[in-house]
Amino acid sequence: MKSPQSLSSARTASRRATIAISFIALATAAILFVSSGSFEDKQLVRAAQSALRRSDGVARLISAMPTAQATAQEGVQCEWQPAASSMTFSAAMALRQQAAAVNAANQSAPGGTIDFSQRKPIRIIRDNYAAFSSVAVDHKNDEVVLTDENLFQILVYDRKANTPPQAAMTEPKRILGGEKTEIEFQCGLYIDPKNGDIYGVNNDTVDQLVIFSRNARGNVPPDRMLHTPHGTFGIAVDEQEQEMFLTIQHDHAVVVYDKYATGETNPKRLIQGDKTLLADPHGIAIDTKNRLIFVTNYGSTSTKVKGRGEQRPNFPLETVVPGSGRNLPPSITVYPMDAVGDVAPVRIIRGPKTKLNWGTGISIDSERGEIFIANDMTSEVLVYDVNANGDAAPKRILAGPKTMIQSPTAVYADVVNDELWVTNFGNHTATVYRRNAGGDTAPLRVIRSAPIGSPAPMMGNPHPVAYDTKRDQILVPN
Amino acid sequence: MIHPQIAAFARLANGAQLPQRKIEGASTLLARTVHSIEYDAIHDEISVPQGFAGAVLTFRGDSSGEVAPLRVIQGPKTQIGDPSRLATDPANNEIYVPLGSRVLVFPREGNGNIAPTRILEGPDTQLGAGALAVDALHNLLIAVGNPGGGGPSRGTQILMFDRTASGNAKPLRVVGGPKTKLTTTGGPFTIYAPKGRILVPIRGDIPTSEMMAPDSFLGVWNESDNGDVAPHWTIGGPRGVFEMIRGVAVNAKYKEVIVSDKRLNAVLTFSVPEIF
Repeated sequence: MKSPQSLSSARTASRRATIAISFIALATAAILFVSSGSFEDKQLVRAAQSALRRSDGVARLISAMPTAQATAQEGVQCEWQPAASSMTFSAAMALRQQAAAVNAANQSAPGGTIDFSQRKPIRIIRDNYAAFSSVAVDHKNDEVVLTDENLFQILVYDRKANTPPQAAMTEPKRILGGEKTEIEFQCGLYIDPKNGDIYGVNNDTVDQLVIFSRNARGNVPPDRMLHTPHGTFGIAVDEQEQEMFLTIQHDHAVVVYDKYATGETNPKRLIQGDKTLLADPHGIAIDTKNRLIFVTNYGSTSTKVKGRGEQRPNFPLETVVPGSGRNLPPSITVYPMDAVGDVAPVRIIRGPKTKLNWGTGISIDSERGEIFIANDMTSEVLVYDVNANGDAAPKRILAGPKTMIQSPTAVYADVVNDELWVTNFGNHTATVYRRNAGGDTAPLRVIRSAPIGSPAPMMGNPHPVAYDTKRDQILVPN
Repeated sequence: MIHPQIAAFARLANGAQLPQRKIEGASTLLARTVHSIEYDAIHDEISVPQGFAGAVLTFRGDSSGEVAPLRVIQGPKTQIGDPSRLATDPANNEIYVPLGSRVLVFPREGNGNIAPTRILEGPDTQLGAGALAVDALHNLLIAVGNPGGGGPSRGTQILMFDRTASGNAKPLRVVGGPKTKLTTTGGPFTIYAPKGRILVPIRGDIPTSEMMAPDSFLGVWNESDNGDVAPHWTIGGPRGVFEMIRGVAVNAKYKEVIVSDKRLNAVLTFSVPEIF
């Protein structure tokens, strides 16, 4: 049995509750009435909303703004899910639409195969903009040429093109792309200074070096092609000797061709072997003044021997000695320009002070005696003295938010115009600086292939995929 | 290709979206041309082969940024050459590395220069082991490949062995023949063990050097199949959604199939509840 005090307080509480409920109901009705469009008094709406907005000691969501992290990670998203379903709404809708097609396929498929050839993906992860991978300047025609590893293109711009901040992108003057061009995952580029011929290096999906005349455009076959060893990456040309140097990633080698070699022509020379310390070589540049070759190495390597079917003169050995795989530190190895065979480098730049971390593109300024490296992983351009050796620190570093350098993959020292070009795989740009720029220096000009801030997934030849069930993530190696 | 990485995208990522995390940098020991990846849900680990350095790298499942692998299988005792693919068996704690006519088996927790615990090889195996999967539920080691090696192929087979097979063991079952349409495979295949499904990306009867494979499709078989059996389901091709199919994964929770495509340079997700 309850006491009079408790009955009284209960009645009081009941009256308060009734008043509160009535007030809330009234205010809610007012909001509904006003928001129904039959009454236009905005002040009443605000007053009614204010009446409901009282402190009751319980946390309430008043407003929401995206956090910096959420803004940066545009891949994170939520999707409505139907109640009591483990499927997303869009998946459920897609299924509903597909059900009829499935039934039809079940009835019509001979031999028991159910044909889902018309089934569309419910999601596609893909970047629709060009992602620049290598760069070279055509001085004769005052143009800059860029390769695009994402959409398989070669793009030509005016050298002085500069994308305004408000523009979505700069349209190239000419585009080469399409199946006939044999362009795919290009990572190296050379422009013939005499005639503007474009040498585009395909990596490991197309074993052809493709050469186009300067004015080629569209989906056209190359003017010349050279069948190369598998896995070419960097290119450099010695115009004095008319020789062309290509790095071979898979076989840890450098091959040297006549500059105008075509078809099935064999290399003139081969640099390969354990003594060379070539290890997943990428960029290559030549110092014409000192007659030296410089090669950037990521560090993975193994010992190769001659296997069956490897008969072509000066093609790299491809057969791996089982168990010979090893990882060396990232490096820049230096050889004489006439080096042949299993030769040790005359110098090697490597060690913690070098800051090398996936140094990819390389360019040499023989005039000033400087080596430029696109240090992909640290988003830096490292500049060394051309005589650097051992664990040498860069003489200067170009990096920082103002530079816009992000996952750089190629550099080009333009000694004619006193400029330095950088391709940024991580943000759809090619950026230009004074040749002696260092620190956090803003670019002189920017060529952008996508609206500012467009996400760059940096996918390249996604081969396997896996699903991380713990985090609901799709794992995609390049 | 430039920039090695293992990117982890949100399941619902669509269009050009940034990964939620990436494993990248020299300390990871990664290189380009990672042709296989396995996520071990039991131990929360990611394993990949590293062909350029003759290694198997295993990372923590939550790895992000420039992190060293947890374990590296590498060295003369391993007999590993240039591994392109691998398979993990988290239930029985093993890692399988196919090397053409041989399959090397290592303990999952093996690290450094270790010898394989067993090797499957010999004429009766019929290996060309291009790619592997292990079904611990049904105790099967499944290989897809062509005994004649690479190149355009009408001789591609699905071979099913006892999981613990070693030496010159015969497969329990072989799926191959004209009805199968098993030709040049696109990349690694996968399985959905609870229903005994085998999902194989197939480029069609074209040379491996072709840039485009517009007849690419994903074929689905059952582990109980034997002989010249047509796929039970096909996704894509001819002249379908794929331009050059590569790898495949399944997301059983949401009944989705995830496929990579080289020429589209994209990852596509399909809703395919029928096979789950």
